[in-house]
Amino acid sequence: MESKNRYSLLELNSLVREAIECELPNEYWVEAELSECRESYGHCYMDLIQRKENAATPVARASAKCWASKWQIIRPYFERTTGQQLRAGMKVLLKVYAQFHEAYGFSWIVTDIDPNYTLGDQARRRQEIIRQLKEEGVFDLQRELALPLFCLNIAVISSKTAAGYGDFAAQLADSPFAFHSQLFPAIMQGEGVEQSIIAALNNIFFTIHQQQPFDCVVIIRGGGATSDMSGFDTLALAENVANFPLPIITGIGHDRDECILDMVSHQRVKTPTAAAAFLIDHVQAVADAIDDVQNRMTRYTQQKLTTLHSQLSTLQQALPRLFSVFKTRQEARLESIELRIPMIAERKLTAEHHKLELVTERLKALDPILLLKRGYSITRFCGHTLRDPMKLHEGDVIETIMEKGTIKSIIK
Amino acid sequence: MKEDMKYEAAFAEIQTIVRRMENDELDIDQMSEQLKRAQQLIKLCKDKLNKTDEEIKKILAEEK
Repeated sequence: MESKNRYSLLELNSLVREAIECELPNEYWVEAELSECRESYGHCYMDLIQRKENAATPVARASAKCWASKWQIIRPYFERTTGQQLRAGMKVLLKVYAQFHEAYGFSWIVTDIDPNYTLGDQARRRQEIIRQLKEEGVFDLQRELALPLFCLNIAVISSKTAAGYGDFAAQLADSPFAFHSQLFPAIMQGEGVEQSIIAALNNIFFTIHQQQPFDCVVIIRGGGATSDMSGFDTLALAENVANFPLPIITGIGHDRDECILDMVSHQRVKTPTAAAAFLIDHVQAVADAIDDVQNRMTRYTQQKLTTLHSQLSTLQQALPRLFSVFKTRQEARLESIELRIPMIAERKLTAEHHKLELVTERLKALDPILLLKRGYSITRFCGHTLRDPMKLHEGDVIETIMEKGTIKSIIK
Repeated sequence: MKEDMKYEAAFAEIQTIVRRMENDELDIDQMSEQLKRAQQLIKLCKDKLNKTDEEIKKILAEEK
């Protein structure tokens, strides 16, 4: 190889730098995904990648830097607008110029970031998650669950030390109802939110078949509106919440409208204290409904008693009249019988008298004395009336009875 | 006669006596006895009616 054609690395890198400075003198807006992002001595160091749809291996990669002087201006603006810190996995729109340094190699130098691009991308991703949840038919599942009437046994997912959890527990304890709550601690901020909440949900799920299962789950988090909510916007967490068999109430303290966790939950409220108020109101409503039913029952019973009383007194007033009608009718019947009885008896006696007279007449007609008076006589033998003379023998004595006397004769 | 005889039973017996008399089912020896019985029963019924009337008036007076 010819020596005059050799370059030192510095010489060659200088050529590259000159070529880049010459060919790429402008600033450009570039869309990229952050695969890494870290701060050091006030500067921000990023790794930019571009992926083909869902492919793991990037089709382009480059490092980028934002010098402290710019970064101190860009970062607060970005965080204020998006509510999030710049972190790996984010899609970003960066204003960059090219820089090649002979010792440090190629890098894009960042002079601006458009936070609206990141917001738009996240909104698109949320829309995609929502679309997928709806397609799976789970988006509305939580809202189809009914909160038990006596919703008193509460599983709480929160960070153990969060002030929000303390407020929540204190408010339940101050209520007139016998709430029982149990904490299932989880990370509620930054990395690991998704996995941590899913693990807590799984722990609650294992208690479902216990003696006293929980009535609902409350996911709460204190904290400002600008905190990072991206951990609550994942498909896996949304699916776990949507498919959970108990109603889930979220009070994760933010002002945004479009947190997916809130969208799939049974009920969303703004803060942990609002979650406690919601639970207390729910039980209060049930207690009020019971009171109402009790009052209605009492009122109905009183009305019924009043009606019955008035019916009874109406009857009572009618009683003497009703009885006097009955009495009059009965008396009339008795009197008519009283009149009839002597009549019937008299008729009967008259008839009997008449019968007796007839018999007397007939008896008279049959009296034998009347025959004797007409000249007939009766012949008797041995105490019996004699009707056949052939029964007599010589020497027999017969009696002949006539009107004026009896004669005895001897047969010859 | 039994004092605790029911009104309805007494009335039914009166009706039976009248029916038997009308149908000529009674002989003369039973007549006076049955007549006496009928009169007693009629008196019983009347007494019961009057007594009930008085009792009702008394009960209602107490209620007021």
